[in-house]
Amino acid sequence: MGLIASYNLRSMIVRKGTAAMTAGGIAMVVAVFVMTLAIAQGFQATLVSSGSPQNAIVLRKSSTSETTSSLMRPDVPIIEAMPQIARGADGRPLASSELVVIIALPRKSDNQPANVPARGVSPRAFEVRDNLTFVEGRRFAPGTREINVGKAAVGRFKGLALGSDVKFGSAVWHVVGVFTADDASFESEVWGDVDLMMPAFQRDGYQSMTVKLADPSMFDAFKATVSGDPRLYLEAQREQDYYAEQSRALTAVIRVFGTFVTLILAIGAVFGAMNTMYAAVAYRTREIGTLRALGFSQSRIVAAFLVESIALATLGGILGCLLALPVHGLSTGTTNFSSFSEVAFKFRITPGLLAGGLVFSAFMGAVGGLLPAIRAARIPVARALREI
Amino acid sequence: MKFVGLILKSARRSKRRTFLTVISVAMAVFLFASLRAVLDGFNAGAEGSSSTRIVTQRSTSLIFTMPTSHAEQIRNTPGVQDLTWANWFGGIYKDPRNFFAQFAIEPESYLRMYPEIILTPEEKKAFLDDRTGCIVGDGLAGTYGFKVGDKITLKVGIPIYGQQDFDFNVRGIYHTKGGAVDNQSMWFHWKYADERSVAKGQTGWYVAQISNPDHAAEVSAAIDQKFANSPYETKTETEKAFQSSFVAMFGNINLLLGSIAVAVVISTLFVAGNTMAMSVRERTTEIAVMRTLGFPSGTIFMLIAGEGLLMSILGGLVGVGLAWLVVNPGVLPTGGFIPEIGLSTSNMITGLGLSVLIGVLAGLIPATMAARLKIVDALRRVA
Repeated sequence: MGLIASYNLRSMIVRKGTAAMTAGGIAMVVAVFVMTLAIAQGFQATLVSSGSPQNAIVLRKSSTSETTSSLMRPDVPIIEAMPQIARGADGRPLASSELVVIIALPRKSDNQPANVPARGVSPRAFEVRDNLTFVEGRRFAPGTREINVGKAAVGRFKGLALGSDVKFGSAVWHVVGVFTADDASFESEVWGDVDLMMPAFQRDGYQSMTVKLADPSMFDAFKATVSGDPRLYLEAQREQDYYAEQSRALTAVIRVFGTFVTLILAIGAVFGAMNTMYAAVAYRTREIGTLRALGFSQSRIVAAFLVESIALATLGGILGCLLALPVHGLSTGTTNFSSFSEVAFKFRITPGLLAGGLVFSAFMGAVGGLLPAIRAARIPVARALREI
Repeated sequence: MKFVGLILKSARRSKRRTFLTVISVAMAVFLFASLRAVLDGFNAGAEGSSSTRIVTQRSTSLIFTMPTSHAEQIRNTPGVQDLTWANWFGGIYKDPRNFFAQFAIEPESYLRMYPEIILTPEEKKAFLDDRTGCIVGDGLAGTYGFKVGDKITLKVGIPIYGQQDFDFNVRGIYHTKGGAVDNQSMWFHWKYADERSVAKGQTGWYVAQISNPDHAAEVSAAIDQKFANSPYETKTETEKAFQSSFVAMFGNINLLLGSIAVAVVISTLFVAGNTMAMSVRERTTEIAVMRTLGFPSGTIFMLIAGEGLLMSILGGLVGVGLAWLVVNPGVLPTGGFIPEIGLSTSNMITGLGLSVLIGVLAGLIPATMAARLKIVDALRRVA
């Protein structure tokens, strides 16, 4: 195999123009493949990382999202008293009753109004969601019209910088802090005191409650306690499951779209590779004849040309991955229709995705090279040697 | 023109190669035309919007409602001729995955102001007479098999409408004219939803008919002025701006689809250009002979470029044909995100134009190569 493999690889270098063009075609396909799936990957990661394994979210039964849920004030102490909930240093439960409303703020990029989620939270929220870190300023003081803003929201929408005043929901709010949350969707949100947001938006109840469990294993007991209480028409979910479900629809759409586009594009590239390999076979007929006369078996000729084609395509795959890499970390945004609000997220290229791209390119090479390789092996030795 | 036969002959010389190239180009054109159609589908609402309709919504955000008592005040604004209102219902048909838009409308004025919704007089009367009646678009009816007389049950999606399911009678299947209204929605009586709503007399947005489209900005400002500093401040904009804001919600689709389109073109250029270069290399001797016989290099250039163009246009035709077959609401899974989709004539022309572009660009280098060939060198070369 050694000799014949190096023969094929070296002949690739001889035809470098053609080889480069074929690899280039495949590179574009792989780049599109990696980039579109990086969108799905990034969006999903942003929502999934919003959930913590130790947290549970309580929503109205059969609600699919916070915006379509409701939770009344009397429900709050009932849930807070449940034994599975972790307690803070002062012995009070780590729970946050919340309200999410959508406010319209102009986007920085095109000045169009975008739907930004404004989350009213209880003072305990920062202990429940412990992945929040302040990069500027401080937490809002409970009972005041101070707000905190996620870093992604500051970058994406106008008028949210530290120290500015924002008008929404019949009041003016003052930005006193900017936070990050490990790229979670909270970074696209505006946070304020729920007890002030509620009247500002003419609401008279909460939508959800997020609690920190004393231990992740207590979730089932917590869920049973919530469902078993006849006073509550509520349901508990793991926070991670909830956010994964929120990302499901859009992620699926992007995946289907990305796959569809790349598959069609791949057909073109595979045919290109096939053309190249057929030409390679035709060009080297005499050499193939010589190899066969020397005693190389048909199957080894097939293998050799397949290897050449796969190597060529994988080279394209590597090139494609490199082409796609710069988009990693690029931030963009879209509307999550489960919550009807805009979520900022980053393109996310994972090692798995790159590996997927390479396997995909190798596969294109194999499909494109198979028929020409078989043709090469089937050429009768005598005829091949006679050819000029 | 007399060389067409020669070009055809050379294209047939390696049938397999020609076929593979044609299909490669076809795939690119197919993708390109389909992506254009998808993009048009997204923008159809804004494109088809009327310049004499303006939309008033809450300034905070569309998800907040305002009292129907605004109606009288908006109607009294100078320049406003007619008024209707609508609200988003957000009900769930069996499973949250079956997503389609449902609107609670003030039926009489809405149908009057939206001549784009086409119903037979009988259907219209039946709908107006039935408080729990609804009309559905022909596209939506096709997807879920709704027929006139059917009962549709929606689960409540927004808690304000209580917990009890809503039953609707299908009283009409509407067709549409123009892009402002899509055929994938359901419309029903606002009163029916309001009866069961916890907050009575609320609506999501008003649509006002204005007499002069040039005064849209003034009338809008006058309306917003009336509600300034009230608990229900409003924001009024043209129907086009209103519709565009929905498209913008998806993020920068233009850029995404645009970059994919560029990748498609580049990738196809590689493939097609490569093939042409290969075929020229194979024919080096032959071309040298032709030059010796007296074919000017310009003719050789035309022959090779013509062959590339021919293959590419063939591919373009196949691609456009394929797109025409596939880009239909029934075939393409759009998940309810794009209400209406179809391949327009301009999509087809763009696709064909692209194939011409690919053909010209891909043939350029090989044709130059062939035209510049030194006869002596070429004749001396073997293979």
